[in-house]
Amino acid sequence: MTPLARTLEALLFLSPEPVSIKDLADATGAWDDEVTETLGELRHHLQGHGVALREVGGGFTLAADPATEAAARRLLGRARTPALTPAQAETLSIVAYLQPVSRPEVARIRGVAADSATSALVERGLIEEAGRSQFGAVLYRTTSLFLKLFGLRSLDELPDPERWDPSPEEQTALRDRLLRAGEERAA
Amino acid sequence: MAHLHRLELDLDVFAGPFDLLLALILREELDLLEVELAEIVVAYLDHLEARDELDLEAATEFLVLIAALLELKSRLMLPGEELEELDELAPAEAAEELLQRMLQYARFRGAAEWLTGRRSEEEGWLYRSAPPPPELRRVQATEQAYEPDVLGEALGGLLRTPPPLDLRHIRAPRVSLADRVAVLRGLLRRSASFSFDEAVEGADRVTVAVTLFALLELYKRGEAGWEQGEPFGEITVSAA
Repeated sequence: MTPLARTLEALLFLSPEPVSIKDLADATGAWDDEVTETLGELRHHLQGHGVALREVGGGFTLAADPATEAAARRLLGRARTPALTPAQAETLSIVAYLQPVSRPEVARIRGVAADSATSALVERGLIEEAGRSQFGAVLYRTTSLFLKLFGLRSLDELPDPERWDPSPEEQTALRDRLLRAGEERAA
Repeated sequence: MAHLHRLELDLDVFAGPFDLLLALILREELDLLEVELAEIVVAYLDHLEARDELDLEAATEFLVLIAALLELKSRLMLPGEELEELDELAPAEAAEELLQRMLQYARFRGAAEWLTGRRSEEEGWLYRSAPPPPELRRVQATEQAYEPDVLGEALGGLLRTPPPLDLRHIRAPRVSLADRVAVLRGLLRRSASFSFDEAVEGADRVTVAVTLFALLELYKRGEAGWEQGEPFGEITVSAA
């Protein structure tokens, strides 16, 4: 391992949050390119080790390999956090794509109030307040913990949401069914 | 909220304070579809009329609440099979509106599923959660401002009683009224009249002031009189 790779490994070991290339370059006095290249070296070096180099939340960080998870949870006495409920996942997805977004807007899209889901997500540290809308409603955005826990380098890594839109055929079928329901009622 | 608490409503399905109605609806113990919101508005208008003054804050709160209720109610009416209430809209319009909302919802439901899958894939990765050792922590002004210790220290300085001021360096006044009265009396004994300037020759401002004060004192007691021909002119002091 080169001295720079050793230093980078130590810096990442000490940092609780992902560190950007720029911060690593500033700290080591190396060029950004050098840091990028050496991180590749470090990643290669760590293969097969208990910790791995990961790029999440706008920077680089060391993470324990999934194979060690069970033992780590026993050691630290931390159970897995319960999975997101469907309401929480829906609310989170709306915040992730439309941020900053207000709770009434989330409720409008989901068709039901989003109060408890929103506070649960705030409590889990996945979303946070981001000022107020022109109408005074609190706006929400996702946190860096969200990126970390979902393994995303940045919000740009979220897939294009149009991929989940129903196909034109499905849309036509839906429209027809709705129209028929309306006509039956009118009749 | 105080005024709303007192608002008694006599609705077909419910009679009681407005906030109770709200609470009930929010807890879904009373079906919002059964409540005539217009009745609530009318009841509130009556209530406002009965009071002479318009409490803007309470009125605004009412508007917000009733708007929320309207939104809730209309939302209950829109989705799913319960389409009976959509009669006002043309079927095509209603269907289109509903379709657009369903499509938008479908998009985020898909995203939600993707996120859930992503999270379970990522769940095995564990990250360092302990903060770095304190001696290595970067000091950030904004971060530190929220440290109770820092705040306490800053505030504590203001709350502490400052030590009493040391006044020893300030000289005690050396000129007393009694002294100056004695001086004037001495001068009066020597001559029937003298000029004030004589009495304070070479004295500092404080002495001059106290001497004038002593002169007033003697005048009051009837021991001396004084004359001044013109403003800023010489003052002649004479025995009374």
